[in-house]
Amino acid sequence: MNNRQAIRALVRKDIRAITASVQLWLPMLIVPLVIGIIMPGILIWTASRLELASLGNMSFLIDTLDNLTHAGQIPQLASMPTDNHRVVYYLALYMFAPLFLIIPVMASSILTANSFAGEKERKTLEGLLFTPMSMDTLFKGKVLAALIPSLLLSWITFIIYGIIANILMYPMFGAWMFPNLNWIILVLWVVPTCSLVVILLNVLISAKVRGFQEAYQLGGLVVLPLLALIAGQASGMLLISPLMLILVGAVLLLISFILLRLVTLWNSRQQLAESQI
Amino acid sequence: MYMIEVRNISKQFKVHQALNDVSFTVEQGSVTGLIGPNGSGKTTLIRIMNGVLGASGGQVSINGLDPFRETENVLAFCGTLTEQSGLYENMSGRDNLIFFAEAFGVQRAKARIDELVDLFELQEYQHRKVGTYSTGMKKRAGLARVLLHRPSILFLDEPTNGLDPDGIQMVLRIIRRLNQEEHMTILVSSHVLSQLSAVCDRYIFMEKGRKVEEGTEQEIVNRYLTSPRIEIEATIPDGWQTVIGYTPEIVSANKAIFQLQSREDIPLLLRQLTERGQVYQARITGSDLESIYFAIREAHHHE
Repeated sequence: MNNRQAIRALVRKDIRAITASVQLWLPMLIVPLVIGIIMPGILIWTASRLELASLGNMSFLIDTLDNLTHAGQIPQLASMPTDNHRVVYYLALYMFAPLFLIIPVMASSILTANSFAGEKERKTLEGLLFTPMSMDTLFKGKVLAALIPSLLLSWITFIIYGIIANILMYPMFGAWMFPNLNWIILVLWVVPTCSLVVILLNVLISAKVRGFQEAYQLGGLVVLPLLALIAGQASGMLLISPLMLILVGAVLLLISFILLRLVTLWNSRQQLAESQI
Repeated sequence: MYMIEVRNISKQFKVHQALNDVSFTVEQGSVTGLIGPNGSGKTTLIRIMNGVLGASGGQVSINGLDPFRETENVLAFCGTLTEQSGLYENMSGRDNLIFFAEAFGVQRAKARIDELVDLFELQEYQHRKVGTYSTGMKKRAGLARVLLHRPSILFLDEPTNGLDPDGIQMVLRIIRRLNQEEHMTILVSSHVLSQLSAVCDRYIFMEKGRKVEEGTEQEIVNRYLTSPRIEIEATIPDGWQTVIGYTPEIVSANKAIFQLQSREDIPLLLRQLTERGQVYQARITGSDLESIYFAIREAHHHE
Protein backbone atom coordinates (compact mmCIF):
# COMPACT_ATOMS: atom_id res chain seq x y z
CA MET A 1 0.00 0.00 0.00
CA ASN A 2 0.97 3.59 -0.49
CA ASN A 3 2.66 4.66 2.74
CA ARG A 4 2.91 8.31 1.81
CA GLN A 5 -0.80 8.47 1.15
CA ALA A 6 -1.50 6.90 4.55
CA ILE A 7 0.93 9.27 6.31
CA ARG A 8 -0.67 12.27 4.60
CA ALA A 9 -4.12 11.02 5.61
CA LEU A 10 -3.03 10.62 9.25
CA VAL A 11 -1.46 14.08 9.36
CA ARG A 12 -4.53 15.70 7.79
CA LYS A 13 -6.88 13.89 10.15
CA ASP A 14 -4.92 14.80 13.29
CA ILE A 15 -4.52 18.44 12.28
CA ARG A 16 -8.24 18.61 11.57
CA ALA A 17 -8.90 17.18 15.06
CA ILE A 18 -6.83 20.05 16.52
CA THR A 19 -8.60 22.79 14.61
CA ALA A 20 -11.97 21.29 15.51
CA SER A 21 -11.31 21.37 19.26
CA VAL A 22 -11.19 24.76 20.96
CA GLN A 23 -9.77 23.14 24.15
CA LEU A 24 -6.77 22.14 22.09
CA TRP A 25 -6.00 25.12 19.93
CA LEU A 26 -6.84 27.87 22.41
CA PRO A 27 -4.04 27.12 24.93
CA MET A 28 -1.70 26.50 22.02
CA LEU A 29 -2.39 30.02 20.77
CA ILE A 30 -2.50 31.74 24.17
CA VAL A 31 0.89 30.48 25.36
CA PRO A 32 2.87 31.74 22.30
CA LEU A 33 0.87 34.95 22.29
CA VAL A 34 1.72 35.68 25.94
CA ILE A 35 5.28 34.38 26.30
CA GLY A 36 6.40 34.91 22.74
CA ILE A 37 4.76 38.19 21.77
CA ILE A 38 2.93 40.19 24.48
CA MET A 39 5.32 39.73 27.42
CA PRO A 40 8.59 40.24 25.47
CA GLY A 41 7.02 43.15 23.57
CA ILE A 42 5.99 44.93 26.79
CA LEU A 43 9.34 44.30 28.49
CA ILE A 44 11.39 45.53 25.52
CA TRP A 45 9.15 48.59 25.15
CA THR A 46 9.42 49.34 28.89
CA ALA A 47 13.18 48.84 28.96
CA SER A 48 13.59 51.17 26.01
CA ARG A 49 11.74 54.04 27.68
CA LEU A 50 12.26 53.87 31.46
CA GLU A 51 15.04 55.40 33.52
CA LEU A 52 16.53 52.03 34.47
CA ALA A 53 18.84 53.27 37.18
CA SER A 54 15.80 54.49 39.15
CA LEU A 55 14.41 50.96 39.33
CA GLY A 56 15.95 49.20 42.31
CA ASN A 57 15.68 45.64 41.10
CA MET A 58 17.16 46.40 37.70
CA SER A 59 20.61 46.88 39.18
CA PHE A 60 21.07 43.10 39.24
CA LEU A 61 20.48 42.88 35.50
CA ILE A 62 22.75 45.86 34.80
CA ASP A 63 25.49 44.28 36.93
CA THR A 64 25.07 41.02 35.00
CA LEU A 65 25.42 42.92 31.72
CA ASP A 66 28.52 44.67 33.02
CA ASN A 67 30.03 41.30 33.84
CA LEU A 68 29.12 39.94 30.40
CA THR A 69 30.62 43.04 28.77
CA HIS A 70 33.86 42.73 30.73
CA ALA A 71 34.05 39.02 30.07
CA GLY A 72 33.63 39.76 26.38
CA GLN A 73 30.78 37.27 26.04
CA ILE A 74 28.58 39.81 24.27
CA PRO A 75 31.13 42.22 22.76
CA GLN A 76 28.44 44.39 21.16
CA LEU A 77 27.37 45.59 24.63
CA ALA A 78 30.62 47.49 25.16
CA SER A 79 29.95 49.97 22.35
CA MET A 80 26.37 50.78 23.40
CA PRO A 81 25.73 54.30 24.65
CA THR A 82 23.20 53.73 27.48
CA ASP A 83 22.02 51.06 29.90
CA ASN A 84 18.68 51.11 28.08
CA HIS A 85 20.41 50.10 24.86
CA ARG A 86 22.26 47.29 26.60
CA VAL A 87 19.21 46.00 28.49
CA VAL A 88 16.98 46.16 25.41
CA TYR A 89 19.62 44.39 23.33
CA TYR A 90 20.13 41.69 25.95
CA LEU A 91 16.40 41.14 26.47
CA ALA A 92 15.54 40.99 22.78
CA LEU A 93 18.43 38.90 21.59
CA TYR A 94 19.34 36.68 24.54
CA MET A 95 16.94 36.55 27.44
CA PHE A 96 13.76 35.56 25.60
CA ALA A 97 15.41 32.90 23.50
CA PRO A 98 14.83 29.98 25.94
CA LEU A 99 11.20 31.06 26.30
CA PHE A 100 10.82 30.21 22.65
CA LEU A 101 11.61 26.60 23.43
CA ILE A 102 8.58 26.46 25.71
CA ILE A 103 6.32 26.99 22.68
CA PRO A 104 7.27 23.85 20.70
CA VAL A 105 7.59 21.82 23.92
CA MET A 106 4.11 22.81 25.03
CA ALA A 107 2.56 22.41 21.58
CA SER A 108 4.27 19.08 20.93
CA SER A 109 3.16 17.70 24.30
CA ILE A 110 -0.47 18.66 23.81
CA LEU A 111 -0.57 17.47 20.21
CA THR A 112 1.08 14.12 20.82
CA ALA A 113 -0.85 13.36 24.00
CA ASN A 114 -4.04 14.13 22.12
CA SER A 115 -3.17 12.23 19.00
CA PHE A 116 -2.02 8.98 20.62
CA ALA A 117 -3.47 8.69 24.11
CA GLY A 118 -6.48 10.61 22.80
CA GLU A 119 -7.07 7.90 20.18
CA LYS A 120 -7.02 5.30 22.93
CA GLU A 121 -9.38 7.31 25.09
CA ARG A 122 -11.83 7.80 22.24
CA LYS A 123 -11.54 4.10 21.31
CA THR A 124 -10.41 4.87 17.78
CA LEU A 125 -6.88 3.45 18.02
CA GLU A 126 -8.11 -0.09 17.47
CA GLY A 127 -9.73 0.96 14.19
CA LEU A 128 -6.31 2.15 13.03
CA LEU A 129 -4.62 -1.05 14.20
CA PHE A 130 -7.06 -3.04 12.06
CA THR A 131 -5.92 -1.23 8.91
CA PRO A 132 -2.97 -2.66 6.93
CA MET A 133 -1.01 0.52 7.71
CA SER A 134 2.41 -0.49 9.05
CA MET A 135 3.41 0.60 12.55
CA ASP A 136 6.21 2.57 10.94
CA THR A 137 3.69 4.51 8.87
CA LEU A 138 1.45 5.01 11.88
CA PHE A 139 4.28 6.43 14.01
CA LYS A 140 5.63 8.59 11.18
CA GLY A 141 2.16 10.01 10.59
CA LYS A 142 1.61 10.67 14.28
CA VAL A 143 5.02 12.31 14.73
CA LEU A 144 4.56 14.52 11.66
CA ALA A 145 1.01 15.44 12.71
CA ALA A 146 2.47 16.88 15.93
CA LEU A 147 5.73 18.22 14.48
CA ILE A 148 4.25 20.25 11.62
CA PRO A 149 1.79 22.34 13.70
CA SER A 150 4.35 22.67 16.49
CA LEU A 151 6.99 24.06 14.13
CA LEU A 152 4.51 26.31 12.34
CA LEU A 153 3.39 27.75 15.65
CA SER A 154 6.97 28.33 16.81
CA TRP A 155 8.08 29.86 13.51
CA ILE A 156 5.05 32.15 13.18
CA THR A 157 5.58 33.35 16.77
CA PHE A 158 9.26 33.87 15.96
CA ILE A 159 8.43 35.98 12.90
CA ILE A 160 5.90 38.12 14.79
CA TYR A 161 8.31 38.52 17.72
CA GLY A 162 11.07 39.48 15.29
CA ILE A 163 8.92 42.15 13.65
CA ILE A 164 7.90 43.61 17.03
CA ALA A 165 11.46 43.50 18.40
CA ASN A 166 12.82 45.24 15.31
CA ILE A 167 10.09 47.89 15.36
CA LEU A 168 10.92 48.65 19.02
CA MET A 169 14.70 48.52 18.57
CA TYR A 170 15.09 50.33 15.26
CA PRO A 171 14.56 53.87 16.67
CA MET A 172 17.23 53.16 19.33
CA PHE A 173 19.85 51.40 17.26
CA GLY A 174 19.11 52.73 13.77
CA ALA A 175 19.46 49.21 12.34
CA TRP A 176 17.57 45.91 12.15
CA MET A 177 19.03 44.11 15.17
CA PHE A 178 16.99 40.91 15.13
CA PRO A 179 17.71 38.03 14.63
CA ASN A 180 21.29 37.19 15.47
CA LEU A 181 23.01 33.88 14.67
CA ASN A 182 21.89 32.36 17.99
CA TRP A 183 18.23 32.91 17.16
CA ILE A 184 18.56 31.49 13.67
CA ILE A 185 20.23 28.34 15.00
CA LEU A 186 17.68 28.14 17.80
CA VAL A 187 14.67 28.39 15.51
CA LEU A 188 15.89 26.34 12.58
CA TRP A 189 17.89 23.68 14.41
CA VAL A 190 17.13 23.47 18.16
CA VAL A 191 13.37 24.04 17.96
CA PRO A 192 12.82 21.18 15.44
CA THR A 193 15.11 18.74 17.25
CA CYS A 194 13.68 19.69 20.65
CA SER A 195 10.14 19.23 19.28
CA LEU A 196 11.12 15.85 17.93
CA VAL A 197 12.46 14.70 21.31
CA VAL A 198 9.34 15.90 23.11
CA ILE A 199 7.06 14.27 20.53
CA LEU A 200 8.85 10.92 20.63
CA LEU A 201 8.96 10.99 24.43
CA ASN A 202 5.24 11.69 24.48
CA VAL A 203 4.59 8.96 21.92
CA LEU A 204 6.40 6.54 24.24
CA ILE A 205 4.39 7.73 27.23
CA SER A 206 1.09 7.91 25.32
CA ALA A 207 1.48 4.38 24.02
CA LYS A 208 1.79 3.09 27.57
CA VAL A 209 -0.91 5.09 29.35
CA ARG A 210 -4.65 4.93 28.81
CA GLY A 211 -5.78 8.54 28.62
CA PHE A 212 -4.98 12.01 27.41
CA GLN A 213 -4.70 13.58 30.88
CA GLU A 214 -2.23 10.99 32.13
CA ALA A 215 -0.10 11.36 29.00
CA TYR A 216 -0.14 15.12 29.19
CA GLN A 217 0.85 15.22 32.86
CA LEU A 218 3.78 12.86 32.38
CA GLY A 219 4.80 14.57 29.15
CA GLY A 220 4.79 17.93 30.96
CA LEU A 221 7.85 16.89 32.95
CA VAL A 222 10.07 17.71 29.97
CA VAL A 223 9.46 21.41 30.69
CA LEU A 224 11.65 21.15 33.81
CA PRO A 225 15.07 21.23 32.07
CA LEU A 226 13.79 24.20 30.09
CA LEU A 227 13.05 26.15 33.25
CA ALA A 228 16.64 25.59 34.35
CA LEU A 229 17.81 26.89 30.98
CA ILE A 230 15.66 30.02 31.32
CA ALA A 231 16.97 30.68 34.85
CA GLY A 232 20.55 30.19 33.63
CA GLN A 233 20.08 32.56 30.72
CA ALA A 234 18.37 35.24 32.87
CA SER A 235 21.18 35.19 35.43
CA GLY A 236 23.85 35.34 32.76
CA MET A 237 25.38 32.16 34.16
CA LEU A 238 24.57 30.10 31.14
CA LEU A 239 25.03 32.20 28.07
CA ILE A 240 24.83 29.81 25.21
CA SER A 241 27.09 30.37 22.23
CA PRO A 242 26.10 29.47 18.65
CA LEU A 243 28.43 26.51 18.74
CA MET A 244 26.86 25.32 21.96
CA LEU A 245 23.41 25.62 20.37
CA ILE A 246 24.51 23.51 17.41
CA LEU A 247 25.79 20.92 19.86
CA VAL A 248 22.55 21.01 21.88
CA GLY A 249 20.61 20.41 18.68
CA ALA A 250 22.90 17.53 17.74
CA VAL A 251 22.46 15.92 21.16
CA LEU A 252 18.69 16.34 20.87
CA LEU A 253 18.82 14.69 17.44
CA LEU A 254 20.79 11.81 18.87
CA ILE A 255 18.25 11.42 21.67
CA SER A 256 15.52 11.45 18.99
CA PHE A 257 17.15 8.53 17.19
CA ILE A 258 17.37 6.58 20.46
CA LEU A 259 13.75 7.38 21.30
CA LEU A 260 12.64 6.45 17.78
CA ARG A 261 14.34 3.09 18.18
CA LEU A 262 12.62 2.58 21.54
CA VAL A 263 9.26 3.63 20.09
CA THR A 264 9.46 1.04 17.31
CA LEU A 265 10.95 -1.57 19.65
CA TRP A 266 8.36 -1.22 22.40
CA ASN A 267 5.30 -0.59 20.28
CA SER A 268 4.41 -3.44 18.01
CA ARG A 269 0.81 -3.60 16.81
CA GLN A 270 0.17 -6.36 19.37
CA GLN A 271 1.69 -4.40 22.25
CA LEU A 272 -0.30 -1.30 21.36
CA ALA A 273 -3.53 -3.27 21.10
CA GLU A 274 -2.89 -5.01 24.41
CA SER A 275 -2.12 -1.73 26.17
CA GLN A 276 -5.58 -0.42 25.46
CA ILE A 277 -7.59 -3.51 26.42
CA MET B 1 -8.15 -25.14 1.93
CA TYR B 2 -9.95 -23.49 4.80
CA MET B 3 -10.23 -19.72 4.83
CA ILE B 4 -9.67 -19.62 8.60
CA GLU B 5 -7.86 -22.27 10.62
CA VAL B 6 -7.46 -21.80 14.35
CA ARG B 7 -5.36 -24.43 16.12
CA ASN B 8 -5.08 -24.69 19.91
CA ILE B 9 -5.13 -20.96 20.50
CA SER B 10 -4.67 -19.79 24.08
CA LYS B 11 -4.40 -16.26 25.39
CA GLN B 12 -3.37 -15.19 28.84
CA PHE B 13 -3.76 -11.57 30.04
CA LYS B 14 -1.64 -11.33 33.18
CA VAL B 15 -3.73 -13.48 35.56
CA HIS B 16 -6.77 -13.85 33.31
CA GLN B 17 -6.98 -16.78 30.88
CA ALA B 18 -9.03 -15.27 28.04
CA LEU B 19 -8.78 -18.21 25.62
CA ASN B 20 -7.98 -21.81 26.35
CA ASP B 21 -7.03 -24.25 23.59
CA VAL B 22 -9.53 -23.08 20.99
CA SER B 23 -9.52 -24.83 17.58
CA PHE B 24 -11.89 -24.58 14.62
CA THR B 25 -11.99 -24.07 10.88
CA VAL B 26 -14.09 -21.83 8.66
CA GLU B 27 -14.76 -22.64 5.03
CA GLN B 28 -14.51 -20.11 2.25
CA GLY B 29 -17.79 -18.37 1.47
CA SER B 30 -19.52 -19.45 4.69
CA VAL B 31 -21.19 -17.40 7.41
CA THR B 32 -20.13 -18.62 10.84
CA GLY B 33 -21.70 -17.47 14.07
CA LEU B 34 -19.37 -17.10 17.04
CA ILE B 35 -21.76 -17.39 19.93
CA GLY B 36 -21.13 -16.87 23.60
CA PRO B 37 -21.91 -14.64 26.55
CA ASN B 38 -20.01 -11.41 27.19
CA GLY B 39 -16.49 -12.20 28.36
CA SER B 40 -16.36 -15.62 26.71
CA GLY B 41 -13.37 -14.61 24.54
CA LYS B 42 -15.06 -13.81 21.21
CA THR B 43 -13.48 -10.37 20.76
CA THR B 44 -10.04 -11.61 21.84
CA LEU B 45 -10.33 -14.41 19.29
CA ILE B 46 -11.23 -11.94 16.52
CA ARG B 47 -8.29 -9.72 17.45
CA ILE B 48 -5.95 -12.72 17.38
CA MET B 49 -7.26 -13.90 14.00
CA ASN B 50 -6.40 -10.45 12.62
CA GLY B 51 -2.91 -10.51 14.11
CA VAL B 52 -3.73 -7.37 16.09
CA LEU B 53 -3.27 -9.30 19.30
CA GLY B 54 -0.65 -11.96 19.90
CA ALA B 55 -1.62 -15.40 21.20
CA SER B 56 0.05 -17.10 24.17
CA GLY B 57 -0.02 -20.40 22.31
CA GLY B 58 -1.34 -22.07 19.15
CA GLN B 59 -1.45 -21.17 15.46
CA VAL B 60 -3.80 -19.27 13.20
CA SER B 61 -3.91 -19.37 9.43
CA ILE B 62 -5.96 -16.83 7.48
CA ASN B 63 -6.21 -17.75 3.81
CA GLY B 64 -2.91 -19.59 4.23
CA LEU B 65 -1.12 -16.67 5.92
CA ASP B 66 0.08 -16.42 9.50
CA PRO B 67 -1.48 -13.23 10.92
CA PHE B 68 1.28 -12.85 13.54
CA ARG B 69 4.05 -12.81 10.95
CA GLU B 70 2.21 -11.27 8.00
CA THR B 71 -0.17 -8.98 9.83
CA GLU B 72 -0.30 -6.26 7.19
CA ASN B 73 -0.96 -8.74 4.36
CA VAL B 74 -3.72 -10.39 6.39
CA LEU B 75 -5.30 -7.06 7.33
CA ALA B 76 -5.31 -6.06 3.66
CA PHE B 77 -7.98 -8.67 2.86
CA CYS B 78 -9.81 -8.69 6.21
CA GLY B 79 -12.46 -6.24 7.28
CA THR B 80 -13.11 -6.08 11.01
CA LEU B 81 -15.82 -4.20 12.80
CA THR B 82 -15.37 -4.25 16.56
CA GLU B 83 -18.01 -3.14 19.02
CA GLN B 84 -16.80 0.44 18.77
CA SER B 85 -17.37 1.72 15.27
CA GLY B 86 -13.80 3.10 15.25
CA LEU B 87 -15.03 6.29 13.60
CA TYR B 88 -13.80 9.76 14.51
CA GLU B 89 -16.68 11.64 16.08
CA ASN B 90 -15.35 15.10 15.21
CA MET B 91 -15.33 14.22 11.51
CA SER B 92 -18.26 13.71 9.16
CA GLY B 93 -19.19 10.21 8.06
CA ARG B 94 -17.86 10.90 4.59
CA ASP B 95 -14.57 12.36 5.85
CA ASN B 96 -14.13 9.25 8.00
CA LEU B 97 -14.62 7.07 4.93
CA ILE B 98 -12.16 9.19 2.94
CA PHE B 99 -9.57 8.86 5.72
CA PHE B 100 -9.94 5.08 6.03
CA ALA B 101 -9.94 4.67 2.23
CA GLU B 102 -6.52 6.34 2.25
CA ALA B 103 -5.39 4.27 5.24
CA PHE B 104 -6.42 1.08 3.38
CA GLY B 105 -4.90 2.35 0.13
CA VAL B 106 -8.23 2.03 -1.73
CA GLN B 107 -8.09 2.78 -5.46
CA ARG B 108 -10.85 4.95 -6.95
CA ALA B 109 -11.95 5.77 -3.41
CA LYS B 110 -14.66 8.27 -4.32
CA ALA B 111 -16.65 5.78 -6.38
CA ARG B 112 -16.30 3.11 -3.66
CA ILE B 113 -17.41 5.53 -0.94
CA ASP B 114 -20.44 6.58 -3.02
CA GLU B 115 -21.32 2.93 -3.52
CA LEU B 116 -21.14 2.18 0.22
CA VAL B 117 -23.00 5.35 1.17
CA ASP B 118 -25.82 4.16 -1.10
CA LEU B 119 -25.69 0.58 0.21
CA PHE B 120 -25.97 1.70 3.82
CA GLU B 121 -28.43 4.50 3.06
CA LEU B 122 -26.14 7.16 4.50
CA GLN B 123 -26.70 9.78 1.78
CA GLU B 124 -28.62 12.13 4.04
CA TYR B 125 -26.17 11.97 6.95
CA GLN B 126 -22.81 11.58 5.24
CA HIS B 127 -21.81 15.22 5.76
CA ARG B 128 -22.90 15.32 9.41
CA LYS B 129 -20.38 14.76 12.18
CA VAL B 130 -20.35 11.16 13.39
CA GLY B 131 -20.74 12.44 16.97
CA THR B 132 -24.33 13.37 16.10
CA TYR B 133 -25.16 9.90 14.68
CA SER B 134 -27.50 7.43 16.39
CA THR B 135 -26.11 4.00 17.37
CA GLY B 136 -27.64 2.47 14.23
CA MET B 137 -26.14 5.10 11.95
CA LYS B 138 -22.72 4.66 13.57
CA LYS B 139 -22.95 0.91 13.06
CA ARG B 140 -23.85 1.38 9.38
CA ALA B 141 -21.05 3.87 8.84
CA GLY B 142 -18.69 1.49 10.70
CA LEU B 143 -19.71 -1.35 8.39
CA ALA B 144 -19.13 0.88 5.37
CA ARG B 145 -15.66 1.65 6.78
CA VAL B 146 -14.62 -2.00 7.00
CA LEU B 147 -15.93 -2.79 3.51
CA LEU B 148 -14.02 0.03 1.77
CA HIS B 149 -11.18 -2.22 0.58
CA ARG B 150 -13.51 -5.05 -0.55
CA PRO B 151 -12.26 -7.58 2.02
CA SER B 152 -12.66 -11.28 1.32
CA ILE B 153 -13.08 -12.08 5.03
CA LEU B 154 -15.34 -10.06 7.27
CA PHE B 155 -15.14 -10.21 11.07
CA LEU B 156 -18.14 -8.63 12.75
CA ASP B 157 -18.02 -8.36 16.52
CA GLU B 158 -21.51 -7.94 17.96
CA PRO B 159 -22.75 -6.03 14.89
CA THR B 160 -26.34 -5.94 16.12
CA ASN B 161 -25.57 -4.67 19.62
CA GLY B 162 -27.60 -1.60 20.53
CA LEU B 163 -29.63 -1.65 17.32
CA ASP B 164 -33.41 -1.41 17.08
CA PRO B 165 -35.28 -4.21 15.22
CA ASP B 166 -35.09 -2.32 11.92
CA GLY B 167 -31.36 -1.83 12.36
CA ILE B 168 -30.86 -5.52 13.19
CA GLN B 169 -32.77 -6.55 10.06
CA MET B 170 -30.70 -4.21 7.94
CA VAL B 171 -27.41 -5.60 9.26
CA LEU B 172 -28.61 -9.17 8.69
CA ARG B 173 -29.77 -8.29 5.18
CA ILE B 174 -26.35 -6.83 4.41
CA ILE B 175 -24.53 -9.86 5.83
CA ARG B 176 -26.63 -12.13 3.60
CA ARG B 177 -26.06 -9.93 0.56
CA LEU B 178 -22.28 -9.69 1.06
CA ASN B 179 -22.08 -13.43 1.46
CA GLN B 180 -24.29 -14.31 -1.50
CA GLU B 181 -23.27 -11.62 -4.00
CA GLU B 182 -19.62 -11.06 -3.11
CA HIS B 183 -18.94 -14.54 -1.69
CA MET B 184 -17.39 -13.04 1.40
CA THR B 185 -16.42 -15.37 4.22
CA ILE B 186 -18.05 -13.91 7.30
CA LEU B 187 -17.46 -14.62 10.98
CA VAL B 188 -20.02 -12.85 13.10
CA SER B 189 -20.02 -12.84 16.88
CA SER B 190 -23.01 -12.28 19.08
CA HIS B 191 -24.35 -13.10 22.50
CA VAL B 192 -27.89 -13.14 21.08
CA LEU B 193 -28.19 -16.30 19.04
CA SER B 194 -31.73 -15.77 17.76
CA GLN B 195 -30.57 -12.75 15.75
CA LEU B 196 -27.98 -14.79 13.85
CA SER B 197 -29.90 -17.96 13.17
CA ALA B 198 -31.28 -16.44 9.96
CA VAL B 199 -27.85 -15.88 8.39
CA CYS B 200 -25.38 -18.44 9.74
CA ASP B 201 -24.37 -21.71 8.09
CA ARG B 202 -22.41 -22.91 11.11
CA TYR B 203 -21.96 -21.99 14.74
CA ILE B 204 -19.11 -22.00 17.21
CA PHE B 205 -20.20 -21.77 20.82
CA MET B 206 -17.79 -20.20 23.33
CA GLU B 207 -17.94 -20.32 27.11
CA LYS B 208 -15.28 -18.98 29.49
CA GLY B 209 -12.59 -18.84 26.81
CA ARG B 210 -13.22 -22.35 25.51
CA LYS B 211 -15.00 -23.68 22.44
CA VAL B 212 -17.81 -25.81 23.82
CA GLU B 213 -19.72 -26.73 20.66
CA GLU B 214 -19.46 -26.42 16.90
CA GLY B 215 -21.51 -27.40 13.88
CA THR B 216 -24.49 -26.62 11.66
CA GLU B 217 -27.83 -25.93 13.27
CA GLN B 218 -29.04 -29.43 12.39
CA GLU B 219 -25.92 -31.11 13.73
CA ILE B 220 -26.15 -29.26 17.02
CA VAL B 221 -29.89 -29.86 17.37
CA ASN B 222 -29.40 -33.58 16.74
CA ARG B 223 -26.62 -33.70 19.29
CA TYR B 224 -28.61 -32.04 22.05
CA LEU B 225 -32.15 -33.06 21.23
CA THR B 226 -31.81 -36.68 22.35
CA SER B 227 -35.11 -36.83 24.23
CA PRO B 228 -37.51 -34.43 22.53
CA ARG B 229 -40.63 -32.98 24.11
CA ILE B 230 -43.45 -32.73 21.62
CA GLU B 231 -46.58 -30.62 22.02
CA ILE B 232 -49.60 -32.01 20.18
CA GLU B 233 -52.85 -30.24 19.35
CA ALA B 234 -55.40 -32.88 18.32
CA THR B 235 -58.90 -34.22 18.79
CA ILE B 236 -58.72 -37.75 20.18
CA PRO B 237 -62.31 -38.93 20.75
CA ASP B 238 -61.36 -41.77 23.13
CA GLY B 239 -58.98 -39.61 25.15
CA TRP B 240 -55.19 -39.15 25.34
CA GLN B 241 -54.81 -42.21 27.59
CA THR B 242 -55.54 -44.51 24.66
CA VAL B 243 -52.13 -43.74 23.13
CA ILE B 244 -50.07 -46.85 24.01
CA GLY B 245 -46.58 -46.62 25.49
CA TYR B 246 -46.60 -42.94 26.51
CA THR B 247 -47.78 -40.98 29.53
CA PRO B 248 -48.61 -37.51 28.27
CA GLU B 249 -48.95 -34.32 30.32
CA ILE B 250 -52.50 -33.34 29.45
CA VAL B 251 -52.78 -29.56 29.08
CA SER B 252 -56.40 -29.48 27.90
CA ALA B 253 -58.88 -31.75 26.08
CA ASN B 254 -57.19 -30.88 22.77
CA LYS B 255 -53.61 -30.36 23.86
CA ALA B 256 -50.99 -32.64 25.47
CA ILE B 257 -47.21 -32.81 25.83
CA PHE B 258 -45.29 -36.06 25.26
CA GLN B 259 -41.77 -36.65 26.59
CA LEU B 260 -40.12 -39.04 24.12
CA GLN B 261 -37.02 -41.20 24.53
CA SER B 262 -35.54 -40.39 21.13
CA ARG B 263 -36.21 -38.64 17.81
CA GLU B 264 -37.18 -42.01 16.34
CA ASP B 265 -40.24 -42.02 18.60
CA ILE B 266 -41.71 -38.96 16.86
CA PRO B 267 -43.09 -40.68 13.71
CA LEU B 268 -44.33 -43.63 15.81
CA LEU B 269 -46.27 -41.32 18.11
CA LEU B 270 -47.71 -39.31 15.24
CA ARG B 271 -48.84 -42.51 13.48
CA GLN B 272 -50.71 -43.66 16.60
CA LEU B 273 -52.32 -40.26 17.05
CA THR B 274 -53.51 -39.99 13.42
CA GLU B 275 -55.00 -43.48 13.71
CA ARG B 276 -56.97 -42.41 16.80
CA GLY B 277 -58.12 -38.92 15.84
CA GLN B 278 -57.41 -35.65 14.01
CA VAL B 279 -53.95 -34.11 14.53
CA TYR B 280 -53.89 -30.32 13.89
CA GLN B 281 -50.41 -29.42 15.09
CA ALA B 282 -47.25 -31.09 16.45
CA ARG B 283 -44.38 -28.95 17.73
CA ILE B 284 -41.08 -29.98 19.26
CA THR B 285 -40.45 -27.69 22.19
CA GLY B 286 -36.90 -26.68 23.04
CA SER B 287 -35.60 -27.60 19.61
CA ASP B 288 -34.82 -24.07 18.51
CA LEU B 289 -31.21 -22.92 18.62
CA GLU B 290 -31.89 -20.57 21.49
CA SER B 291 -33.01 -23.46 23.72
CA ILE B 292 -30.08 -25.55 22.54
CA TYR B 293 -27.77 -22.65 23.34
CA PHE B 294 -28.97 -22.64 26.94
CA ALA B 295 -28.67 -26.41 27.08
CA ILE B 296 -25.05 -26.15 25.87
CA ARG B 297 -24.30 -23.40 28.38
CA GLU B 298 -25.89 -25.41 31.16
CA ALA B 299 -23.91 -28.51 30.18
CA HIS B 300 -20.60 -26.61 30.31
CA HIS B 301 -21.42 -24.23 33.12
CA HIS B 302 -19.68 -26.18 35.85
CA GLU B 303 -16.58 -27.12 33.88
